[in-house]
Amino acid sequence: MTDELGALTTIFTEFYYWVTVVLMFLIHVGFCMYEVGASRYKHHQHTLMKNTMLIPLVTVTWFLFGWWIYWAFPTGPGLAPSIMNESAALITDDSAFSAKWYVPTSDLMAVNLGDHISGVFWAAFLLFSWTAASIVSGAVIERITTFAFGILAIAIGSVFWTIDAAWGWHFDGWMLKLLGYHDAYASGVIHAVAGGFALGILAVLGPRIGKFSSSGEPRNIGPRNPWLVTIGLFLIYTGFWGFYAACNIPIFDLGPEYGMEGVTYFTATNIYVTPTTLSGITFNFLMSLSGGLLMGYLVSKGDPFWTYSSGLAGIICASAGNDLYHPIQSMIIGMIGVVIAYKMHYWVERKFKIDDAVGAVAVHGYAGFVGLVICGFVLNGYPSSGYSVGAMWDGTTYASINPLGMFIGALIMFFVLGMIPGWIIAKILHGMGKLRIPREVELAGLDYEIMEAAKDDEKSVASASR
Amino acid sequence: MATVTNWIDHLSAEEVQGAIYPGVGSEGILVLIGFVLWIGWHVLAARQESEKLEKLARKRHGPNDWKSNVTDG
Repeated sequence: MTDELGALTTIFTEFYYWVTVVLMFLIHVGFCMYEVGASRYKHHQHTLMKNTMLIPLVTVTWFLFGWWIYWAFPTGPGLAPSIMNESAALITDDSAFSAKWYVPTSDLMAVNLGDHISGVFWAAFLLFSWTAASIVSGAVIERITTFAFGILAIAIGSVFWTIDAAWGWHFDGWMLKLLGYHDAYASGVIHAVAGGFALGILAVLGPRIGKFSSSGEPRNIGPRNPWLVTIGLFLIYTGFWGFYAACNIPIFDLGPEYGMEGVTYFTATNIYVTPTTLSGITFNFLMSLSGGLLMGYLVSKGDPFWTYSSGLAGIICASAGNDLYHPIQSMIIGMIGVVIAYKMHYWVERKFKIDDAVGAVAVHGYAGFVGLVICGFVLNGYPSSGYSVGAMWDGTTYASINPLGMFIGALIMFFVLGMIPGWIIAKILHGMGKLRIPREVELAGLDYEIMEAAKDDEKSVASASR
Repeated sequence: MATVTNWIDHLSAEEVQGAIYPGVGSEGILVLIGFVLWIGWHVLAARQESEKLEKLARKRHGPNDWKSNVTDG
């Protein structure tokens, strides 16, 4: 950096992403509080530890291979050529955005005076990875082993969501080109995939003891601490602000980027390098949150757990197109997502005996899926990229956003990269006898021994005279 | 081990070397150690957890026994 303006832009961008990372940390704090609030007393500490340990596991694996996957896989491989090197192979060449620079042995993956972006950008994506794994964490509480959850967290956090991000979020992703896929704030890329993954695990893991009566009727195991659930969800909302900002590029000159001669146009862009504004997405974030809360209150008849969760579901449903929607559209889409997520949750629970302890599959999976489908209709005809707009299935250009492409995209997110891998890995872990805790432990409570030791400690302290 | 011993020399060089962490060039070994630590953690933690769960399962506590462990703080 030798000129002041260039240095300011670089350091502003570095600081911008750094701030989003700090804000997004609140998502994880929120998820931890929420899960503990939703779990029963005898499982509290184990529940907390399970979600906490995904932080180091996903972080280390994100460093070792997750980040590399994102940069290597936009072409599929083999599905559409890269706009950088015109090859459909893995992107590992010498081009500027190649995965070659993001192998863990690269000197850009460390303190490097020549690079002010890699670390903060890596961290912003890492926080998305934690979120994906944390979504799964809530659904499986009180009966999964920490070992199995750790493996599954790495699978969703450092492998499958990363592949879907390369396919549907990277500016060079094949889903943009062939399908016209558009998912600005990750209805599908994070939420549908994580919700689908959780559903795949739940199908193998089974319900908590007592969740269903002998006649198959579901019983409510409600949140044990509504205050923690409340604060947890408010913190998730707060972190979601940071997430929205992290999905943008804060300042970019689109003139030369799009090859427009003599045109200078500085703007914020979404992750696809198409223009939007922080101001505009702020309207939409709040209106979709409001739509979700309003509808959640109605469909659940004022149930606090579902009302708070519905605020989140409202944002998630509108997120795919919140870079372009009108605020009222965002609100309505948020409302639609909540109705479908709520109804689907109870239908799936009854029909397939799925015990989703916190409604994660509904709030993230179903609302995310529906959000993608709706986006295909509402944004039908918008370019999915600024680079070159062409027809669907034409691998050399970028298809416009369209209903069919978005529906196929939703299927890929929820089923292909979410539910199916989740089910397969859970099956393997189940086959090894490592997926579920013993029945006796589930009944006694995972925290039994910690609680017993705490009682003994307290007794000895209470009887002490000096 | 030190990559930089004099900042003035380092920053006034014709081409400033970006990587400034100790042991530039040893990244491969560091990453290998990282992999070993990661996998090793899973092995040790899984063993610990299995032992803990088996021990607790053998005691066959009832679903309400935990209540006798609640302390008043």
